Amino acid sequence: MAKPRRSRRTLTTLIVLILVSVTVISIDTSGRTHSITSGLRSAANDIFSPLRAGVNDVLEPIGNFFAGAVHYGSVVQENHKLQAELGRLRQQVVTQPFEERQLRQVLALQHLPFLGQIPTVTAETLAVDASNFAATIQINKGRSDGVQVGMPVVGSGGLVGQIVQANHGSSTVRLLTDGQSKVGVTFGNPPQQSTVDGQGPGDPMTADFIAPGTPIHLQQVMYTNGLQGGEFPQGIPVAFVTSVHTLAGASQISVQVQPMANLNQLTYVDVVQWYPTP
Amino acid sequence: MTPRRVLRILLVVLLVLLVQSTLGLDVRLAGAHPDLMLLLPIAAGLAFGPEEGALMGFVAGMASDLLLPTPFGLSALVGCLIGFGVGSTTGRITEGIWWLKSLVALAASAVAVMLYAVLGAVLGQEQFLNDGLVAVVVVVSVVNAVLAPAAVRMLRWAVVGSGADDTRSSPAGARW
Repeated sequence: MAKPRRSRRTLTTLIVLILVSVTVISIDTSGRTHSITSGLRSAANDIFSPLRAGVNDVLEPIGNFFAGAVHYGSVVQENHKLQAELGRLRQQVVTQPFEERQLRQVLALQHLPFLGQIPTVTAETLAVDASNFAATIQINKGRSDGVQVGMPVVGSGGLVGQIVQANHGSSTVRLLTDGQSKVGVTFGNPPQQSTVDGQGPGDPMTADFIAPGTPIHLQQVMYTNGLQGGEFPQGIPVAFVTSVHTLAGASQISVQVQPMANLNQLTYVDVVQWYPTP
Repeated sequence: MTPRRVLRILLVVLLVLLVQSTLGLDVRLAGAHPDLMLLLPIAAGLAFGPEEGALMGFVAGMASDLLLPTPFGLSALVGCLIGFGVGSTTGRITEGIWWLKSLVALAASAVAVMLYAVLGAVLGQEQFLNDGLVAVVVVVSVVNAVLAPAAVRMLRWAVVGSGADDTRSSPAGARW
């Protein structure tokens, strides 16, 4: 009789665990009770972050060794690319003052706010893509440094993402490529509006709601539109167009875009201390 | 279960969580990284049985969920189902055959990753079902298959104080 009793107990345990898990999921996904799980995560991150930082310092050389061994070919290739990039940057240094003057003029003409006036908090990246299913980074600045949920994050050439979890001393940034990311953008002259949608890690982003016949070309840069109630200030470079297809009878053009920021090089980022206007 | 065993199990979960969130994130293949936390319920199911597998899956999943930006509780749900499934289906068949544990871990990890993606999509995270899912399934399954025998031994050592292969059948080691 011992075996059936144990089976019954095992099944009861499983059912209880499933019910608890489903309840926790419901609490997390509900807008009204999400703050409970958010608070738990914040507390756990505050406790765990120093531990992780300590272990990271010890284990990082080992991790780098494995990463270098696995990606040796791409490291060599990247080195070549960086050398080419260095050459281009040297050339840019010579022409930069002229281009800066031009940029200021263009910004003034388009009545865009000068982004340099918005205060920023520089943060270091602690971890990249903690989950295989979400494109996020963890940074070492949190509420104690003035970082709040919803603030834009920029770096490495353009918009990187948005703060989705602010802990006491660290924060989580949802990257542009994450499937939950949506950014209102503007491009072209006369200005056209669109939404840049992340499609998940590794998949190209899309620019949606562009009507057939809209003037758009490859490499065209899209900027945050800063519309009333928008989640980002105006004028941050978001993405550039990599492919444009118009299907017969379609109500919108199929546009693929790539982030302006190099999301593979996010050692440091800037959190823009900007709040949406209601 | 004695308080000492509970403490040992929690220490194992914390240790694996630390390794996962540091070294585990550095090892990337085709954009995917291993999921060592998923190995815990599989190893517990193999070493002790379905109830222990489910409990370990729940605890390890909750610990993961605290640090992940994905729906809270989803890893715990998948973890307890996988731990229970592995414990129920394998019984004592894996004892003495070292490669069978790896084979079970390979299959269970693949099922767990796909289950996680499907349940995530049902919860409104449609992007979980993307082109990168194949890479995630392959990387997580292969790494867990390689590490499964060692994980089973580590759990047995932590819980029973012995890494021997007969803990599931012996009266003293059959339960936590």
